[in-house]
Amino acid sequence: MSLPLFALFIAALPAQQIRQPLTQGEAPRQNWIVRAERVYTATGRAIKDGAVLVNGSKIGAVGPGAAEENGKYTLSVYAVTPGMIDASVRIGPGTAGVEQSREVTPELRIADALDLFDVRWDRQAESGVTTALVCPQDENVIGGLGIALKTAGKPTVKDRTLKADAVLRGSMGSQPSTRNSPAFQRPRSFYNRRPTTRMGVEWEWRKSFYEAVAGKNDPARALPGSAELLRALDGKLTLSIQAWTTQDIRTAVFLKEELEQEPQIAGKPRVFVDAAAEAWKEPELLVRSKVGVVLPPFPVDGRTGEGSFMAWNVAKLLCDENVPVAFSAHGGSGPLYSLASQAGYAMQGGLEFDKALAAVTSVPARFLGVEDRVGTLEVGKDADLALWNGEPFQPTSRVIGVIIDGALVLDPRPTDAR
Amino acid sequence: MLLTIATAFSLLAAPAAELPATFAIRAGHVLLDDSTVLDGGMVLVEDGRIRAIAREVDLPENCAVVEHAGWLSAGLVGLHSMGSDPAEMRDATRPVLDAEVAWAFNPRSSEYAKAAAAGITTLVLTPSPRSLSGGVSAVVKTGGGRILSRSAHLSLGFSAAALSLNAYPTSFASAVAELNNRFEKPSGAFARARAGELPCLFEVATRADVQRASEFSRRWKLRGAIYGADLAGEQLDVLSEAGLAVIVAPLSAGADRRSIQSTVKLAASDIAFGFGVDNPMLDPQAMRFTAGLCIREGMDRKRAWRALTTQAAELAGVAKHVGSLQKGRDADLVLWSGNPLELSSGVQSVYIDGKLVHEVKKP
Repeated sequence: MSLPLFALFIAALPAQQIRQPLTQGEAPRQNWIVRAERVYTATGRAIKDGAVLVNGSKIGAVGPGAAEENGKYTLSVYAVTPGMIDASVRIGPGTAGVEQSREVTPELRIADALDLFDVRWDRQAESGVTTALVCPQDENVIGGLGIALKTAGKPTVKDRTLKADAVLRGSMGSQPSTRNSPAFQRPRSFYNRRPTTRMGVEWEWRKSFYEAVAGKNDPARALPGSAELLRALDGKLTLSIQAWTTQDIRTAVFLKEELEQEPQIAGKPRVFVDAAAEAWKEPELLVRSKVGVVLPPFPVDGRTGEGSFMAWNVAKLLCDENVPVAFSAHGGSGPLYSLASQAGYAMQGGLEFDKALAAVTSVPARFLGVEDRVGTLEVGKDADLALWNGEPFQPTSRVIGVIIDGALVLDPRPTDAR
Repeated sequence: MLLTIATAFSLLAAPAAELPATFAIRAGHVLLDDSTVLDGGMVLVEDGRIRAIAREVDLPENCAVVEHAGWLSAGLVGLHSMGSDPAEMRDATRPVLDAEVAWAFNPRSSEYAKAAAAGITTLVLTPSPRSLSGGVSAVVKTGGGRILSRSAHLSLGFSAAALSLNAYPTSFASAVAELNNRFEKPSGAFARARAGELPCLFEVATRADVQRASEFSRRWKLRGAIYGADLAGEQLDVLSEAGLAVIVAPLSAGADRRSIQSTVKLAASDIAFGFGVDNPMLDPQAMRFTAGLCIREGMDRKRAWRALTTQAAELAGVAKHVGSLQKGRDADLVLWSGNPLELSSGVQSVYIDGKLVHEVKKP
C-alpha cells in the first residue's frame, strides 16, 4: 500500500500545478472518429486498421477502415480499447469516510462522502480508467454501499453516477479489527466495542445477516441496514468483500455458502472478493462457489496487504483455473502504479493479452453489473475509450487519449494539431 | 428655539436613554437602499422607527435635530456569528439538538457593542458548525437587547467540522444518513424546515461539501443558504439548481485571489448573498472589510451594498424590520465619516431602534 501511495504523491505534483483540472466543467461532446491500427473491442474481436465512431455519448459504430478523411474530429492512434474499469478505487475522504461508532453500517453510502474535486479523479481519467467502483473504507466490518461512477464529467455525484448502490461492501481480516482499544481497560470509547480479532470480524458478519433475516419476521428486530443485508442475501445487491489472505478468502466463501443454505433466503448472494492476493492458494474454492476476484496492485517483492503474498503469475494461475479475475490499482496512477501497468505485470507473469484486457474491462463490468453500459467496444455502449500510442499494457506504451461519455477528456493530438 | 438648542446640546453629551422619542438627523449624504445618494437629506425618527426620509422633512414642533456633515445609512446586517460566547453555541452531548441559540444571547456583552461600533446593527446568531444540527439561529440587535427572530434558520453541518473522531457521527456518510432520517420523520424545527417555513443554513467548507449540501437540499426540497465556502462562486450552477443563497465568510487581507474572485462571480449572478462576521470568532470589522476587498476585485458597489443591508435582511427573514431606510422600518441608523463602502470611512454614531448606542467622542 505504501509504495503506490508514495508514487502517486511524486507523480502527481507537477500535473496539479500546470494544468486546469478536468473536473472544472463538462467537456463538449462531439461525434469523434477514432482511427486505430488496432481496435481491441474486449469482446474477443480485434480489428486491424479500424475505427470507432462516437455518436454523442454512445458508440455509434465499430469496424474496419470506417473513416477516410482526417477531419477536425478524427483522432488517429495506434490502438483503442474500452475505457478501463477499476473495481476497487480507493479515493476516499480519509477519517471522515468511516463511521467509527458502529462496526456494521450497511445503510451508509460512500456517495455521500465523495470529493469529486479531488485531483486523483483527474489522474484516474487520464490514466485510462473511465469507470471506478468506490466503496466505504474497510475499517468497518460492513462499511456500506459503494458506487460505480465515471471518472470525469461534471463534478456532481448525480452526473457521474453509473450505478448507485452498485455493491454492498464489507471486509474480512485484520483491517476492521486493528487500531481498536485492547481489552482490560475501562470502556473509554466506542472503539472497545469493535472486534479485535479475525473471528470477531466474522462473528459480526454472521450476526448481522442472521439478525436481518430475523427482522424479516419481527420488524422490532430489524436494525439500520437490514434492508440492504437482505437485498444482498437475495442476490439483488452484489457483495464486495475485502479479503487479502487465504483464511479470509476462505471465511468469505464459507459464509456465502452457509447463507445459501439458509431456508428463509430466496435468492443466492452474489459475491466477489476484493484484494484477493492469496486467491491463488485455493482457487478450487472460488470455482466451486462461482466467486470472482479483484487482485490488489502487484507488489514488487510479493509481499502485500495484511501479510499476504502475491507474485506476478497469480493472474495466469487463476485464469487457467477459470476464476474470473479483475485488476485494480487501488486508486494509483502514473507509469508504475496505474491500472494499465497492473495488466502489464500480469502479462509479465504469463497472462495472455485478451485475458489481461478482460481483467480491466469486461470482467469488472460484470462484477459491478454494468456490462450493458461499459466494458466493451460495441454499438450502443457508452463512448468510454482509452487511446494508446502502442500495444496496450506494454512498458513502452501509454494511454495518450481518453474519451468518457463522448467527451474528450485527454486529447491525443499534439497541441498545435488540435 | 431655545428649547431646541438646549435639547440638541444635551443630546451631544447625553447617554442614549435621554434621547427624545421623536428626533431628526440631517446628514450631508444619505445612502439609500438602491445605493443612490441624497446630497443633504433628513431622517425623522419616531418611537424607534423611521417616520420619514427625504431631502427636507416637515418636522414636528420642537423636534430635536442632530446635525451630521458626513454620511448616513441603514445599519448593516451581519449574517453569521457565534455571538459573544462561541462555547455556548455547541452542545457536545448530542450531534442534533433542536434548540434555540436565542437562549444564549447576552445583550450586555461588549462583543455586541463592538459590532455596533462597526456599523452592524443586526446580527444573526448561529449554532456552531461543529454540530450536525446545532439548533436554530436567532436574529438580534447589537444594542438594546431586542431579539427580532428566535427562529431564523435550522443549522445543518455539512463540513468535516461536524464530524468527530471519537463521537457519533465520525463520517460524512452517517452524517447524511442521520439528517435523512430527521427529515424523513420530521418533528420540531426539522418539520418546519421540510414544510418550507424555516430556511436551512448549510455549514460547508469545500466544494464537495457544497455539492453534498446542494444535493441534500434538493432531495428534501429545502430552502436556505450555505456558509463557509470560499469557492462558492465556482459552483453557481449547482447552487442555482438547488436554489440556495450564499453567506460569504470574512476574508482576510491575505485571502487568496481565487476566493475573492469567486465572491465577485457570485455577485455577478442571480444568487442571493450576504456577509457573515465570524471566521471563526466574531470580528465585526471583517465584514465591511470583506466587501471592500471584493469591490477592489471588481464587485459591483450596488450589489455589495445590497448584500450588506437589504439582501442580508431578507436572508435573515427580518426584511420588514431592518436593512433598509424605508418609512416604518426600525430606526437603525449609522452615521459615517464618509461613504461606508470606502474603508477609509469610519463609524461616528450608531442608533438602534432610535436609541443612540455608540458615538465616537471627539477629543
